[in-house]
Amino acid sequence: MVRPHVVKSRVLIALLALLALTLTGCGGGDDSATSATDLCAPPGVGSASAAPTNLDAAAATSTEDRYTTPTTKPLDQIDTGALGLATPGKLSVGTLSDAPPSICVDSSGSFTGYDNELLKAVAAKLGLQIEFSGTEFAGLLSQVATNRFDVGSSSITTTDERRKTVGFTNGYDFGYFSLVVPNGSAIHGFSDLNAGTRIGVVQGTVQDDYVVNTLGLDPVKFPDYNTAYANLKTGQIDAWVAPSQQAEGAIKPGDPTSIVQNTFSLNNFVGWAVNKDNQPLIDALNSGLDAVIADGTWASLYSDWVPRELPEGWKPGSKAAPEPELPDFAALAKPETPGSEQSQTAQQSTLAQLGATFFDWDLYRQAIPDLLKTGLPNTVILAVTSGVIGTVAGMLLAVAGISRTRWLRWPARVYTDVFRGLPAVVIILIIGLGVGPVVKGLTGNNPYWLGAAALALLAAAYIGEIFRSGIQSVEPGQLEAARAIGFSYRRAMTLVVIPQGVRRVLPALMNQFISLIKDSSLIYFLGLLATQRELFAVGRDLNAQTGNLSPLVAAGLFYLALTIPLTHLVNYIDRRLRTGRADTSGTLDPLEQAIVVERG
Amino acid sequence: MTTATNSVSLTGTDLHLSFGTNKVLRGVDIHVDAGKTTSVIGPSGSGKSTLLRVLNRLHEPEQGDILLDGRSVLGDNPDTLRQRIGMVFQHFNLFPHRTVLDNIALGPRKLRGLSKEQARAVALEQLELVGLAEKAQSRPGNLSGGQQQRVAIARALAMKPEIMFFDEATSALDPELVKGVLALMTDLAAGGMSMVVVTHEMGFARSVSDTVLFMDRGVVVETGKPEALFDDPQTERLQAFLSQVL
Repeated sequence: MVRPHVVKSRVLIALLALLALTLTGCGGGDDSATSATDLCAPPGVGSASAAPTNLDAAAATSTEDRYTTPTTKPLDQIDTGALGLATPGKLSVGTLSDAPPSICVDSSGSFTGYDNELLKAVAAKLGLQIEFSGTEFAGLLSQVATNRFDVGSSSITTTDERRKTVGFTNGYDFGYFSLVVPNGSAIHGFSDLNAGTRIGVVQGTVQDDYVVNTLGLDPVKFPDYNTAYANLKTGQIDAWVAPSQQAEGAIKPGDPTSIVQNTFSLNNFVGWAVNKDNQPLIDALNSGLDAVIADGTWASLYSDWVPRELPEGWKPGSKAAPEPELPDFAALAKPETPGSEQSQTAQQSTLAQLGATFFDWDLYRQAIPDLLKTGLPNTVILAVTSGVIGTVAGMLLAVAGISRTRWLRWPARVYTDVFRGLPAVVIILIIGLGVGPVVKGLTGNNPYWLGAAALALLAAAYIGEIFRSGIQSVEPGQLEAARAIGFSYRRAMTLVVIPQGVRRVLPALMNQFISLIKDSSLIYFLGLLATQRELFAVGRDLNAQTGNLSPLVAAGLFYLALTIPLTHLVNYIDRRLRTGRADTSGTLDPLEQAIVVERG
Repeated sequence: MTTATNSVSLTGTDLHLSFGTNKVLRGVDIHVDAGKTTSVIGPSGSGKSTLLRVLNRLHEPEQGDILLDGRSVLGDNPDTLRQRIGMVFQHFNLFPHRTVLDNIALGPRKLRGLSKEQARAVALEQLELVGLAEKAQSRPGNLSGGQQQRVAIARALAMKPEIMFFDEATSALDPELVKGVLALMTDLAAGGMSMVVVTHEMGFARSVSDTVLFMDRGVVVETGKPEALFDDPQTERLQAFLSQVL
């Protein structure tokens, strides 16, 4: 008992030292440290780029554009009352935060980026309010299909596969795929990729689809662009196929990587996703889009956020929309400097790069207020709510699970098997997306409490098993003695057996609560408002905004600040329960005690 | 010692019970007169402890009848029946998470409808009778085996039982602690409590019992006055058993 305590204390001291270092680092960082680039701010026209010259020749043979509408309804013919919105007059938008400058959360915690700013302008044209929620791309399209959101805004490339799930507006952006490789790689283009290449993509994206179906190769799949790029930089993968904007945004001066080729398909423009049965809303957004193109808003936002030369044969909006007036990006673009020369001047040592990636004090200082104000309360609320409900439900499950009535026992066993056997993410998505639409009236389409309920149901299965094992570890003689006095089964259980069982499993219960604290980050899959984000989501958004891992490390420190004291509390309770019972009150000599223990 | 004023007679007839294919009781008859003591002896696995649990319906008999005061109790609520029958176990089975006083007060308070104060008063009274009043606030785990068994007896008596069952109440105790418990049981018997005592203490069976019953392999092999059984065993099985234990 003593040894692990000492070790734990040392860990604690080390962590406190780290935290202290963090804080002092923050204080001293303002003059020396170069402030991190905010990827979620418009880079301005100065960052313009010309159309890539290294276009994949095969992709240039463009196919007919089948989906762009010839015209749009005039704005004054749109009935904004008949758009099938969840809340009339308000556009509920699901977006992501990990792909600046297209979609991201800015330093004030608001969802922005080119796609979202443009959508705001479109909504304004239509006279609609707009509300953004963050979600995971894995769930976004189905959340649009099930009307959890009216619109999905996430630089979504419109593919035939996705058109089976949702409908799309006309295009407001386009995407090249870029092939990014480490400097000096033998890979010079898509044609150099083969079965032996470890190709990174973000799961479920068009690039994933392109590598699998067009190239016929098996890619390594990552949850987000940052992770994919971090893996490329550290040599875990040989190549990264990314949207060109993400690739350009991710590669910073001094990075040992470069874009070697791009590709483009006319059919796969970028549009907003809408429920495919909701043609009125698609029509309305198309009209709004043409209107913001006509009045120059599109051109100004495009030039501000994502200034690139348009590919030949493509323009935004319907076919009837006016050609936008854009500056000559090709001329504005800086004369191309050979990548190798640039990287030589600023090449950082691996250690310095790691240090900058994990310990950027400026970012810690930026992250901590958000983590404290938004992340911490949400994590605690989610963990405590689901913990309390889970404990009550778990107790009911445990009692049903050891009941003598099979009609109680079997459902409890089935429930436990199912909920313990499924990954937490699957349960959260099933409850959020499956049950969500059914109880919409109750939750107001706000998945926060639904997420807490999903966590609670999940926890109940585990806690139920913990209680059951505790209750079953109580000697049968206890139940027999209570029943011999004349207590019914139920009262014998509640008065005598269950209280003893629960005491035995308090440490295991606390561990379950600790995993709930960590699992609470999973409800981000359901789509949350910026103010509802818990610790991990806050850290991750800042991570996406800056491309630096420091905010995640900062979030990690907050988790430790919650879980380590709990771990010690568990150990304390455990120790007290064990030694408390053996605590002799003085009248009993050790020999007699030994006999009692041995015989009893 | 208190004089039990409400003691009843107990009769079990043709009691059968199996656990799966194992026939533990194969037609057992037992009778205890009001205020008298019957000891049940026999080798391990002969069904003695099971007989007690059938008599208070912790196990429901598959066949046979149980009568208290001449009236069948098989139709009664088993919980109510058990409130009338006190039981003391080999391993005490005190509730370790409650104090000694609460162990005793729990039944009276929750089942006899006494207030908290009344139940505690009853419990303290019983605790004084077994000589452990100063242990009221201790946890059972801090008591010796002998003390724990005396608390267990007090716990059973606090329900004002009409008959007491003892299931090898001294088997788990080391020798010097046995005496105190046996003395208490002897006092109870002398006070007019009806008792069924499953025991390996042949001295107690002989000197305190009014009737002794020898069981082997689920049946009663011999029954009678203690002197008759111990001095003049009629069956080979009892003779063999006595030669081993005496």
